[in-house]
Amino acid sequence: MLRIENVSKDLGEFTLKNVSLDVKDGEYMVIIGPTGAGKTILLETVAGVYPPDSGKVLLLGNDITHKPPKDRNITMVYQDYMLFPHLTVGENIAFGLKNRKVPKDEKETKVHEVAELFGIDHLLHRYPDTLSGGEQQRAAISRAIILNPTVLLLDEPLSALDGQTREKLRKELKRLHTIFGTTIIHITHNFEEVFSLADRVAVMNKGEIVQIGEPDDIFRRPESEFIAQFVGVENLFRGACRKQGDGSYIDVKGLHIVSSTCVSGESVYASVRPEDILISREPLDASARNSFQGMIAEIVDNGMFVRLSVDAGIPFVVVLTRQGYEAMNLSEGDSVYLTFKACSVHVF
Amino acid sequence: MERDTQKAAGEGEDYHLTEIRPDWLKIITIAASLVLTGFIVALLLLVVSHPAPEAVLASLMSEEIQFAITLSLITSIVSTLLCILVAVPAAYALARYRFFGKNVVNMVLDMPLALPPLVAGVGLLLLFGTTPFGQALADIGLVFVFTPLGIIAAQFFVNLPFMLRIMRSTFESISPRYEYVAKTLGCSDFQAIWRVTLPMAANGLLAGSVITWSKGIGEFGAALLVAGATRMQTETLPISLFLNMSCGKLELAISAATILIVISVVSLYIFERYGGAARF
Repeated sequence: MLRIENVSKDLGEFTLKNVSLDVKDGEYMVIIGPTGAGKTILLETVAGVYPPDSGKVLLLGNDITHKPPKDRNITMVYQDYMLFPHLTVGENIAFGLKNRKVPKDEKETKVHEVAELFGIDHLLHRYPDTLSGGEQQRAAISRAIILNPTVLLLDEPLSALDGQTREKLRKELKRLHTIFGTTIIHITHNFEEVFSLADRVAVMNKGEIVQIGEPDDIFRRPESEFIAQFVGVENLFRGACRKQGDGSYIDVKGLHIVSSTCVSGESVYASVRPEDILISREPLDASARNSFQGMIAEIVDNGMFVRLSVDAGIPFVVVLTRQGYEAMNLSEGDSVYLTFKACSVHVF
Repeated sequence: MERDTQKAAGEGEDYHLTEIRPDWLKIITIAASLVLTGFIVALLLLVVSHPAPEAVLASLMSEEIQFAITLSLITSIVSTLLCILVAVPAAYALARYRFFGKNVVNMVLDMPLALPPLVAGVGLLLLFGTTPFGQALADIGLVFVFTPLGIIAAQFFVNLPFMLRIMRSTFESISPRYEYVAKTLGCSDFQAIWRVTLPMAANGLLAGSVITWSKGIGEFGAALLVAGATRMQTETLPISLFLNMSCGKLELAISAATILIVISVVSLYIFERYGGAARF
């Protein structure tokens, strides 16, 4: 529905390099990436704030690359709200309707409807700087959604809010997406937002989109070292891939990690999620192909979970539930066995 | 016992020393600021209180001072409006866009600030008096040399940088994202500025206008060269002060000075009150 084709834009400090992205109708697309990756420029280019240096933006099949923002029906919400301080909350929300010359009664009804949906109906006569962060962001989202936009762009909409408000508003965004069915592109740094909101995720780095997929894909099967590190993948190893019979293994400092999906090549990365590794005092006789002996180097208690660092020649991180940890009665310096399946090893 | 007393005395001395050690840096710098403040207040009081109040009041009502007030108000208001008209768009461009030669433009536009007003006056006099451009203006009835129009031109030229600098810093303090949002909500480029940026810049505009206006009222050097100092013709308040001072009519001179002081104090207050992010 929204199609970004090979868009490049150089703003000096930030750049977009040959970015292509397809967003489906009604989809909730989340874009993640480090600061300076070009996420905001991408949104601003979609909104039409500036024309791309090259490439095309298509909306519902129409080329809108050079259409001014006012004719696109794409609205935007920024992290720091950008409510117009000289207008009341009500006037802010009605701003777009006023531009569309909507009659006064209809305008007021609509403003009340949307404000009620976000629970800010009682704040309409107030000025933005008298509102809390959460209230301001609700007003900003109301102002954007009231125009019934074809695409709604959210640039880190929850980043400026405190934990509780953030969680509340995240749920409201989810509800809003269900009610209006609006196509949404949402930038964030927060992985909870990814898992709770995203239909699909795009990862950006240095002005490029480096991977697009469902949240699970990105987190379980990152396609590059950068993504793996960015999404916080533990147990990331680098080694040489070798064939062995009809299978293959990765040689990481002499340790052979068997993988079912090893790509032949000189040097590859492999990752294993900490919760996919079984820990035991005795070797397990199981179908799992990978089993290593190691020593517990460190135990970190996170409350719900316990993280163990195990030195098996290379450092592994294993996560146990509190119950599992207590049942095993482990302590630092203990010798243990780590076991995981070949298909738990993700190679890239 | 003896040692104990000694020790106690020693401790007491230490305590004493740290407690009253004078902070000379603080004392000297604060004293400097106080002396300066006292000096300025004394000067102003001296001007205002020198002649008898009745004499000043009478002079204020005199035809000459009334003329000077009217002429000063008209010229300064017109020149301030012209400054707004030119400085607001120019300041917007300097705050928002990157373009070739921007640094040079910035420097040149600030030039009148550093230039002695008399030199600016000479330049304006040459422009209006000796060039085909000045001639063409004169032909359509716009005579600047030795007329109130010349005063307006002088005030405009000398004070433009104040307006420009204040508006530039005001626009710089307003995130362009407000305009981006306005545009996605259906504004054209100009509507976004009109409905969002300008209202947000209102305080800066007020502060800038007041400072420009008050500088305009006080403009002397450049106006003197372009418009001359002719009694009851190009006699603004500062010109009146100058004319009356030089021929010994102290009451008239002081009344003009008093009005100028009041205007300065009030404009400074308004600037500090509403200036916000605006800076020179």
